[in-house]
Amino acid sequence: MESFLNALVSGLISGSLYAAMALGLTIIYGISRIFNFGHGVIALIGAYIAWIFVQNSKIADTSLLLGILVAIVFLFLLGFLLYRYTMNPLMKKPNWEISTVLFMLGLGILLENVILQIFGPRVKSIPVFKEGNIRIGMVQINWHEIIIIFIVILAIFLLNLFFKHTRSGQAMRAVAQSIPGAKVVGIDIEKIFGYTFGLAFVVTGISGILLGTKYYMNPHIGWEWMVKGFVIVCFGGLGSTNGAIYAALILGVVEALATLFLSAMWVWPIWFAIFMIVLLIRPQGILGGRV
Amino acid sequence: MKKIISNWQASFVAAIVIFLAAYPLLGPSSYLKHLFILFFIWSVVAAYWNLLNGYVGINSLGNIGFLAIGGYTSGILALRFGLSPLITIPIGGVVTGLLVTLFLGFPALRLSGIYIALLTLIFADSLPSILTQTRDITGGGMGLHEIPPFFPGMEKVHTYYICFVFFLIAMLILYKVIHSKTGLAFVAMRDSENLANTLGINRYQERLKVFAISSFMTGIAGGFYVHSLGDISPTTLSIEPFLLALAMIELGGIGTFFGPILGAGVIVFGNEFLRLAGTLRLTLLGALICGVILFYPGGIMQLVEELGTRIKVLFNRKKVTE
Repeated sequence: MESFLNALVSGLISGSLYAAMALGLTIIYGISRIFNFGHGVIALIGAYIAWIFVQNSKIADTSLLLGILVAIVFLFLLGFLLYRYTMNPLMKKPNWEISTVLFMLGLGILLENVILQIFGPRVKSIPVFKEGNIRIGMVQINWHEIIIIFIVILAIFLLNLFFKHTRSGQAMRAVAQSIPGAKVVGIDIEKIFGYTFGLAFVVTGISGILLGTKYYMNPHIGWEWMVKGFVIVCFGGLGSTNGAIYAALILGVVEALATLFLSAMWVWPIWFAIFMIVLLIRPQGILGGRV
Repeated sequence: MKKIISNWQASFVAAIVIFLAAYPLLGPSSYLKHLFILFFIWSVVAAYWNLLNGYVGINSLGNIGFLAIGGYTSGILALRFGLSPLITIPIGGVVTGLLVTLFLGFPALRLSGIYIALLTLIFADSLPSILTQTRDITGGGMGLHEIPPFFPGMEKVHTYYICFVFFLIAMLILYKVIHSKTGLAFVAMRDSENLANTLGINRYQERLKVFAISSFMTGIAGGFYVHSLGDISPTTLSIEPFLLALAMIELGGIGTFFGPILGAGVIVFGNEFLRLAGTLRLTLLGALICGVILFYPGGIMQLVEELGTRIKVLFNRKKVTE
C-alpha cells in the first residue's frame, strides 16, 4: 500500500511536469495549426541557459532566477523571430503542412547538434531548488517536488488569466476559433501567431528547466521529452490545453504504476499502446479538439 | 513519358541509365561500386517516401522504420533458417506492408495529416527498444552480421547489377503507380476535392493503397540493403539515416519523379565528403534541409526546370535571328 501510494504521488509529480511540457505544443497547435516538431530542443535550450547561469556563479538561488529570466526573454524573442522569418513565409505555400513539419524537424536536429558542439555529450543537471523532504502519512515527498508542483500550478493559473483577461490572450483564443472571424474584427493574425510562438516557447523553456532539475539532461534527451509530449497532446485532444493537463496527469500515474508493477522496460511500449488505442477509439482525444 | 519529361531530359535520362549499366566495365574500385549500390537502394527508399509525402500528402516520418522491418525480416529468415534471399526478400516486403498498413495506416489515415506524422515518427522511434528486447532473434544492439548475399560466392559486380535491376524495376513500378487510376485519383482530389467525391473516389481507400505500396516497396528495399551490405543494426534507425533520406527528398525536389533520385545521388556521394566535417555533419545536414525548404523549395528539380527554360529561350532566340 505504501509503495502504491508513493508511486501514485510520484506519478502525479512527473505528470505535472509532462503537463507543463505538453502545454507549449498544444498552445502552438491550437492557435496556429502548426505542429512543432522541434519542441524538445526548445525545452533543452531553456534548460541549458539556466544551467549556464547556475554553473558560473556562487550564489545558486539568485543566479537560477536570473537564468530563468534570461531564458524567458531569449525564448520569447526566438519564438517570435522564428515565426516572423521562417514559419510565416512557409505558411503561405500550398503544402505548408509538410514543409513546416520537415523544417521544424531539421531545425530541431540542427539546434540539438549545436548544443552538442557547445556543451558536449556529458549528462548535466540543474541543482534542486530546496533540499530535504517531508512525510505526510505514508507518503514521502521532496520539498523540491512540492515547489515544482507549485510552479506548474502557478504557470497554468497565469496562462489562464492571460488567455481570459488580456487583449492579446483573447485575440489568440479568437484566432484559434476562426481565422476569418478574427480577421473580420481586425486582429492582426501574423502578429498574434508571432506572440503565440513566443509564449509557447517560453512555457516550453520553463518546462525544460523544471525537467532539468528533476531528472538529468543531455543534448539528445529532448527527443524523449518531445515524443512523450506528442502522446500527451493526442490523448488530451490536439489543441486543448485542459485536455493536455488531464492527459499528462493520467499518463504520469500510468507510467509510475507500470514501473512499480511491471518494470521500467515496459514504460515505452505502454506509451505507444496508449497512443494507438486513443487513435483507434477516440481520435479526438479526451477533451474534443480538432481531428 | 512526354508528360513529365521533355525530349532533352529523356535523352539525358537514357544516357544516365546506359552509363550506370556500363559503369562496372570501366573497372572502378570496389569502394565506388559500394557507393553506387548504396545510391540504388537509397534512391528507391527516397522515391517511395516522396510518393507519400510529395505526391499523396501523407506526412510519413517512419519510412526508415519500414526499411528496417523489411531488412530484419529478410535477414533473420536467411540467417537463422538458411532460406534463399530470393524468397526472404519478398517475404520481408509482404511482412512490412502488412504490419505497417495494419498498425499505422488503418488508425491514422482517416485523420488529418499531423496524426500520421506523429504515429509514424513514434513507431520508428520505438523500434530500437523492441529490437533490444528481442535480443535472441534480432541480435539486440549489436544487430545481425554475416547475412548471406543473394547467391553464395558473389562478387561486388554481381551485387551492383542486381541492385541496379531492382532500382530500374522499382522506378518503373513507381512511374506506373503515379500514372495509374490511383495516381490520377490524387490529382483529381488535389484539383477539386468535391468533384472527386462526386465521382466516387474514396479518399481513405486510395490513401491506404498508396501507403501499402510504399511500405511494401520500402520493405523490399530493406531486403536488398541487408543482403548487399551483409549487416544491419539499430543504428540504421538512428537520426542520421533518417536525416539523410529527408535531405535526399528535399534537396532533390519534393513531389517530383526525378528529384529524390538526384537528391540520393548528391547525398550518397556528398556524405562521403561530409565525413571530413566529423561531428558537425548532422548540423550541416539539418541546416541544408532548413535552407532548401526556406529558400529553394523546389530543390534540384527547380534548378533543372529553370535551366531548361533558359536553354529553350536561347534556342528560340537563335531561330528568330536566323
